[in-house]
Amino acid sequence: MKSQQSLEGAHLRVRAHGRSIARRRAVVLLAILCGVMVGVVRAEVSRTALVQQTVDAVVAVLADKSLTADQKRAKIQDIVYDHFDFNTLARLVLARNWKQLSPEQQKDFVEEFKKHLSMTYGKNVETYNNERAEVTGDRAEPGGDWTVKTKIVRLGAADVLLDYRLRQEDGSWKVIDVIIEGVSLVANFRSQFQEIVSNQGPQKLIDLLREKNAKGEPLKS
Amino acid sequence: MRILTRLILFIAAASLGLGWLSPSPTAAASESSAQSNHDPLEGMNRKIFWFNDKVDTYILVPVATGWDTIAPTRVKQCVSNFFHNLRFPIVTVNDVLQAKPLAAASDVGRFVVNTTVGVAGFLDPATGWGLEQHNEDFGQTLGYWGVPPGPYLVLPFFGPSDPRDAVGLAADLFSTVYPYFIAYVYTVSANATNTINARALALKDVQQVKEASLDYYVAVRNGYEQRREALVHDRKGLSEEQQRDLYNVETNDGE
Repeated sequence: MKSQQSLEGAHLRVRAHGRSIARRRAVVLLAILCGVMVGVVRAEVSRTALVQQTVDAVVAVLADKSLTADQKRAKIQDIVYDHFDFNTLARLVLARNWKQLSPEQQKDFVEEFKKHLSMTYGKNVETYNNERAEVTGDRAEPGGDWTVKTKIVRLGAADVLLDYRLRQEDGSWKVIDVIIEGVSLVANFRSQFQEIVSNQGPQKLIDLLREKNAKGEPLKS
Repeated sequence: MRILTRLILFIAAASLGLGWLSPSPTAAASESSAQSNHDPLEGMNRKIFWFNDKVDTYILVPVATGWDTIAPTRVKQCVSNFFHNLRFPIVTVNDVLQAKPLAAASDVGRFVVNTTVGVAGFLDPATGWGLEQHNEDFGQTLGYWGVPPGPYLVLPFFGPSDPRDAVGLAADLFSTVYPYFIAYVYTVSANATNTINARALALKDVQQVKEASLDYYVAVRNGYEQRREALVHDRKGLSEEQQRDLYNVETNDGE
């Protein structure tokens, strides 16, 4: 009787042990799964959060009344340079023509193009009118890029839809194109530069940019 | 009757574009083979573009700037709302023609809300209630059913277009409400008010495009083409092939 009981007890204990192993394994599996999911979710959050944080930072600078226009421009330029990959952007703009440029010209082009963009868009600092920006969604693109959609909410005017195309480089996501109401900046500049390069050569394009940049230097106001 | 005259003008302009669908030999010769160019009429287009730009710079912009200075932002927004509300028949008809019943229902609701609660359309409470504004016209409807835009076409006064959108513009005039009820003088002044107000709201944006571009004509042409295509596809993004062409560094430099 006793031995039978203890045998049964042992049996039960073994079964319980087996069950607890299974349970522990399930817990471990679940934990791993959760960990993976958290990782995936976090990776997704980080792209939209990155864009939201960046545009918030820019808006904070714009709204800061203690700063002069020049100080604002300098601060925003720092933020933008941190988050844009101008090398890729400039290369995509030139497309097939990129290879026509010597390494020296490529460097010049990236530099002048970057200056041109910050100059023309830097002027917006003076006309800031309490605009806000909100991330409205995102989507994966073929080839691993990511699009984060935002809208700029303006006082007394329709929203402007602005999409950022991000590409991962060395673990961090950088902007490689901006799409304003369906118009890609890369495609628009590509169409303009293509005609200049194919009709007048790449050096002419660099010279034109340099000339335009020299004419309207914005860092005075 | 007057609307008919205008319509004939439009169709004439559109068929002008269609008639020249085949590129002239000189235009084709000056094109580099590497690029796909939708602008066989570039010579004529640039002239009309130049003319439009002069009209804009010397007539429209000064008037719009004046209006921009005297009218507070809220007033300009109300005027803009009013004219957008009047576009309700165009938008709704084209929702239906593109088999978008939900959008059509939403736009009918929008019109009812904004015309009543929104005081004859000057205010836009509907957007806040989730009835967002849609941007539809007959050019988009044609595009939705697969009609290609055809060559780029700059219309005098109306600006960037193409044969498809010019025909669309003409068709949309039919579904505008007010010319049927109101005397011509008033519709003309209404159109003028709308144009001036819209131009006043876009002063900064246009100036920026001018400053940012190295070739203003090409920048506007490309912007128009991209924007229309995005609208036809309701901004669902580019096709995989277009993305490869635009964003792939390898395909761009490897021949």
